[in-house]
Amino acid sequence: MSFTIDCRDKTTREINRTMREAIAAGHQRIEVLEPDARHNLGVALLCPVDVVFSGSVGYYCGGMMDGAHLEVRGSAGWGAAESMLDGMLMIDGNAGSGAAASIRGGTVVIRGDAAARAGVSMKGGTLLIGGGCGYMTGFMMQKGRIVVCGDAGDALADSMYEGVVFVGGQIAGLGNDTVVEEPNADDRAWLDELLSTHRVQGPTSFRKVVSGRKLWNFDRKELEVWKAAL
Amino acid sequence: MCGIVGFLDKRERVDFPLGRTLLEMMRPMACRGPDSAGVALFGDGGEEKLRLRLPVEISRTALSDALHEEGLMLMQSHPGGVYDARLVAEMEATDLEERLRRRWPDCEILCLGGRLDSFKQVGSPDELETAYSIAARTGSHGIGHTRMSTESRVDLSHSQPFWAHGLPDVATVHNGHITNYHKLRRRFEQDGYRFCTENDSEIIGVYLRDRLAAGRSLEGAMRSSLDDFDGSFCYLVATKDRLGFVKDRYGFKPLMLAETEDFVALSTEEIALRRALGRDFSAHEPPPGAMKLWSIHADNEENTQ
Repeated sequence: MSFTIDCRDKTTREINRTMREAIAAGHQRIEVLEPDARHNLGVALLCPVDVVFSGSVGYYCGGMMDGAHLEVRGSAGWGAAESMLDGMLMIDGNAGSGAAASIRGGTVVIRGDAAARAGVSMKGGTLLIGGGCGYMTGFMMQKGRIVVCGDAGDALADSMYEGVVFVGGQIAGLGNDTVVEEPNADDRAWLDELLSTHRVQGPTSFRKVVSGRKLWNFDRKELEVWKAAL
Repeated sequence: MCGIVGFLDKRERVDFPLGRTLLEMMRPMACRGPDSAGVALFGDGGEEKLRLRLPVEISRTALSDALHEEGLMLMQSHPGGVYDARLVAEMEATDLEERLRRRWPDCEILCLGGRLDSFKQVGSPDELETAYSIAARTGSHGIGHTRMSTESRVDLSHSQPFWAHGLPDVATVHNGHITNYHKLRRRFEQDGYRFCTENDSEIIGVYLRDRLAAGRSLEGAMRSSLDDFDGSFCYLVATKDRLGFVKDRYGFKPLMLAETEDFVALSTEEIALRRALGRDFSAHEPPPGAMKLWSIHADNEENTQ
């Protein structure tokens, strides 16, 4: 039996407060009806609970959460799951700029396309994009994995420290200090499992983008590398 | 911040409840722009008319006589020194603007055209509705704006939409900053263009007019603006039969697009689309550097991307 919240005639604060009260009362599953692409829904949920949004959500849905499982039956605006510690955010449609920015753990699944700057500064976790992604996806990422089934935009994974980006389609342009490798057997097994777990139709093969590690330490002899990056 | 909205009915119905649709889209954008609100509606084609702001005390008779001398017939007065007039004699919009300015240096034409009707003022979309009964107005397409001022003053003149001075039936709304505004403005002023405000968004209409005068198509002018404007911008352009958008190459400013068989709708945030038009369509954020232009004539597919 799930707890239902109808967003009509409620302020965003009332919706989030009702959600917290329902969780405190022991409800394990919450359905949020008519979210109408409002901002800041389901932010900072710090316990395992299932929340389903029946339509599109606005900015920062599921931001800073820890352990909740959110499903969006529509699209998401900017900064979906930003700074999430752990948990899962599933988006049926597309996601605006900065999806999964700075997450430290958990999984974000975007079945459609992600706009620019997806997964920037990721510090862990997994971002799975069923479609393509915009420019500067994975910019300065430090850990974690980004999987793009479709095409990737320009400056992919620019200045990444660590982590890995898998791309199934075309890459419009690689970012500074990135290296393209062939995925190994472990990578392929992990990708197969990820795609089948989330029922995402992936491409037949992926390319793997990792850090060239030239920007880790400043070297006067490689000044040109730094000039290009900065 | 600022919120922009645009709507085009693809079924060529000039009796579409455009005003109500734009107003419902603007209401959830009011929080993005509490300073002022405005719309530009394109209704049934008719005689050329204009809306004028005149910051001088003048009696109705004196104004009527003065306008008559300039080939205009005074139709209606609005609060805040805003007047509607009809063009009696045929003349170029640029000539008319020049003549009116010679008579009243501070006078400003807020909109001019056979189809364009623009309303704007300080305050919320609801206050705009109270003043001008937008919801009752029909039309095929239009744009709207809610403003949060950052660089220039809050008054009617600095509100949006901006008429593209000199071009009948062309209006723009803009969210963002054109950071090379002063540089561009200086160049345009050297070329003889006059600016009515200190709002950077006014440059968009002036730029488009300049490019069109140089023989470029509207689509070409919009495309070259991606290179010629610096800063963050999403802007919408509406002409007598077209609606288009341009989004800067970095995608700094948000813009959501929904296109169905029946309509094209654009707004800064998806909430505007959902509140006004429901849930039975998908919306997406066009990529950075995107632009597109739609025509109200279904058989005249000029749609470009």
